[in-house]
Amino acid sequence: MSLPPKLQELVDDFASMTREEKLETLIAFAESFPPLPDWLKDERAKMEAVPECMTPVFLFGEKQPDGGIHFYFDIPPQSPTVRGLASILASGLNGCTPEEILTVPGDFYSPMNLQEAVSQQRLNGFTGVLAHMKHEAVRLLETR
Amino acid sequence: MSYVHPEYLVDTEWVAAHLNDANVRIIESDEDPLLYAIGHIPGAVQVDWFSTLQHPLRRDFLTREQFEQVNSKLGIANDTIVVFYGDKSNWFACYALWLFQYYGHQNVKIINGGRLKWEQENRPLVKEVPSYAEAAYRAKEADKSIRAFRDEVLQQSNAKKPLVYVRSPKEYSGELTHMPNYPQEGATRGGHIPGAVSIPWAQAVNEADSTFKTPEELRALYEGKNIKPDGEVIAYCRIGERSSLTWFVLKYLLGYPNVKNYDGSWTEWGNLVDAPIEK
Repeated sequence: MSLPPKLQELVDDFASMTREEKLETLIAFAESFPPLPDWLKDERAKMEAVPECMTPVFLFGEKQPDGGIHFYFDIPPQSPTVRGLASILASGLNGCTPEEILTVPGDFYSPMNLQEAVSQQRLNGFTGVLAHMKHEAVRLLETR
Repeated sequence: MSYVHPEYLVDTEWVAAHLNDANVRIIESDEDPLLYAIGHIPGAVQVDWFSTLQHPLRRDFLTREQFEQVNSKLGIANDTIVVFYGDKSNWFACYALWLFQYYGHQNVKIINGGRLKWEQENRPLVKEVPSYAEAAYRAKEADKSIRAFRDEVLQQSNAKKPLVYVRSPKEYSGELTHMPNYPQEGATRGGHIPGAVSIPWAQAVNEADSTFKTPEELRALYEGKNIKPDGEVIAYCRIGERSSLTWFVLKYLLGYPNVKNYDGSWTEWGNLVDAPIEK
């Protein structure tokens, strides 16, 4: 099964990069990590925690009028790798419907070969963040 | 009361005064490998425990010859003062320091407070990656007196000699491996090595600025759990990084003569067939 188009494009891009390009692109994603909007500050209790990550990671999915989900992340600046990975997921999946998000396989990132740039262990954060984006997708399905 | 070997620590002020000292090489070693690229202490080089210090094939560190090549390329000579710092209260900085000591580099130091304290003091961070003239580094024979392997850990456990488990209380009790979606664990069993005493690494540092606690506080922490200077002590965690910090504290700040780091740690023990486990 194919991935949502924007995510597929990112996976293909990374797959064709050298190790150095992957690192540079991941850094660019980390540096363009969007700040948490004011209305979500002090709303940690409302957000979904990602305990798989060694740093405190929280995310929140908001249903848009067209049925797509927009994800917001709260990740400390001291964790640029997790910020970068979350940015990639947000770029690839923001605007997708809950159903589309639920079809993304947990190992979707394998073709990106990111383990040559960051360790396999750090990539588990990818799986963790995606799993909790899916929790949010399920929550939004149920509150439809 | 002061630390037993205060010469193994420098403060941020000392570092700021030695940024252009040709006898000093500053090394950043982080849990998050992208931090260096986002900004580092001027003149610092990066050593990543995963992509720089690990053997490319086996689960082991670089060989002596590979270690020599890494240091030579970083412009480190045998008499260079190597100063380590990093994120997460210097976990990986201590890991790198431990490996430098393993291959016999004598003049090593940790920046007390690490990256966090440097940032808190609004000291400069730059993106420019420096390059230094290549040196001719010669490593020594690996110093096995600071590294424990599994058979030795089993003997230590059977002999009821001190083992320090530095992970979180939940990891000690084995609770964490039961958490769903915890792929980073990498071990098929949870719990701890029989006889191990739980002293989480974080208790050795001040949360506010990542500096080490006072000698009095550290002594009370370890001796209070019956980890005394006269015994042979082995510290372990998940992959050996957090226990490097405990190793550093016991060996240099408290001066215990006989401390080893078990780098196989739980990702080896928790997968080892027939290894005894307690919960």
